[in-house]
Amino acid sequence: MTRTAKPSFALLAGAAILIAAFLTGIAYLVIESLHTGSGWGLDNFAYFFSRSDYVAVLNRTILVSVLATLFAALIGYPIAYAIADYKGNRNFLMMLVIMPWLVSVVVRTYGWVVILGPRGTLNSMLLSWGVIDTPLRLIFNMTGVVIGLVHVFCPFFIISVLSVLLHQDKSLREASQTLSAGPIRTFFNITLPLSLSGVITGAILVYLLSTGAIVTPLLLGGVRDGMLATQIYQDVLQVFDYPKAASMAIVLLLTAFVLVIPLQWLERRVAARVSGRGE
Amino acid sequence: MLRLLLMVLLFGFLPLPIIIVIVSSISTTGYFTVPLSPFSWRWYVEFFTNWEWIRLLLVSGAIAIVVALVSTTAALLAALVLERRRFAGSGLFETLIMLPLVFPNAALGVAFLGLLGLLGVSGTYLGIVLSHCIITLPFAYRPILNSLRKLDPAIEEASMSLGARPMTVMRTVTLPMLKPGLISAFLFCFIVSFDEATITVFLIAPDVTTLPVRILTEIQESASPVIAAIATFLILFTLSLVMLLERTTGLELFAAPEKDA
Repeated sequence: MTRTAKPSFALLAGAAILIAAFLTGIAYLVIESLHTGSGWGLDNFAYFFSRSDYVAVLNRTILVSVLATLFAALIGYPIAYAIADYKGNRNFLMMLVIMPWLVSVVVRTYGWVVILGPRGTLNSMLLSWGVIDTPLRLIFNMTGVVIGLVHVFCPFFIISVLSVLLHQDKSLREASQTLSAGPIRTFFNITLPLSLSGVITGAILVYLLSTGAIVTPLLLGGVRDGMLATQIYQDVLQVFDYPKAASMAIVLLLTAFVLVIPLQWLERRVAARVSGRGE
Repeated sequence: MLRLLLMVLLFGFLPLPIIIVIVSSISTTGYFTVPLSPFSWRWYVEFFTNWEWIRLLLVSGAIAIVVALVSTTAALLAALVLERRRFAGSGLFETLIMLPLVFPNAALGVAFLGLLGLLGVSGTYLGIVLSHCIITLPFAYRPILNSLRKLDPAIEEASMSLGARPMTVMRTVTLPMLKPGLISAFLFCFIVSFDEATITVFLIAPDVTTLPVRILTEIQESASPVIAAIATFLILFTLSLVMLLERTTGLELFAAPEKDA
């Protein structure tokens, strides 16, 4: 029946070249991370874990990324819920989420420097109202990094949850209400479990992006609050030692994947169960 | 009442730093402080009369246009094949297109640094463009695939049976119907490339850099208030792109279900 011409496989060339370049880059990264002064081996990794400052940086990276993910969920879920629940034209509310999301990370992080910095908006307000005598140290510490990361990556969480909530069958909620479950019970028994796959997708994204972030920890973190990504960047700037940088990038990759892969598995389980396909 | 307050707080969180930057940019100090400092355009004058900033703006714009063109074209051609001609590896191919999305950006930065060295294009604009194309390809692929799926093949078949040749069908039927997907793919790639700093910091050379990377180093080094004016300019620029996106495809596309992709 179909008489539309079959597109030629040659059309895949552009995407194939980009994919090949990407895979080459990753393969080179893995190979070089095993490159030691004298030959090949795991020396770079042994060196990484022998340095207590690097291990501390690694632990901080995980802690900060988990905190950012938690707060992004706590702030993002109600926002997504409010947008999905809104009866009128959602475009304005969507705009309030998408607009900040698409503004450059550098610009948004600069906004937090202006608000929270020692000479910034919040300190100047508190000082002039006589609430405090000396500026509070709100950034150049871990708090600043977490605030910044939550702000920068929260829209990813909102959009993940929203894409599930918007396509949720509203009659389920109505049925629950008709069967005299209160709004809170309906939320915890119907809405939340059914949007869990969006929550997990969003959490994966925020965690991944937080572990790999450089701009926010660089601008809002203190000298002692480096994360793995900024540590790699600073090491590369100081001495160009590619195998060392590559091994640190691999540690970063594993840090991200160790948490993401089980979450992805969980997400597929949840999605299969919710859609009743039970694959 | 309490509910309203909660909503204002929640929705206010995301736009807050953006609003503060805009207000800061028109004050003499370049900071939004209490008591308010007087109104001034001086940081805008400084921005627009400094050739270095304008040059970087044009460089980043040019990179983003080239990247968006390449990625959108590559994604369109790949989507046509993958959607209409399923083959053994097509699922794998799609996964590979999306793969860069699940790598932490700093790790991608180090990987691309090595790749560009291998290809002999370290510290060049060509290298930056190639890296940006790799990371924007998934952003182009999604919206194009979505609009390709919505397209009814019967219309193309009708055009064929009326004697139109494959290229004519493509030009006069398929492409016009994919327009919303193509526009959002292009704008998305443009924005991602234009704003990218996390990966690009690994790829620059002393005289080869981009606007966001330069802003980043400027904030670290001097925190000159001229940043507020540049930042505001970028905010307004993004706002106009978002408006354009809203006009062409609507913003609900961002919340399209992902499951079937």
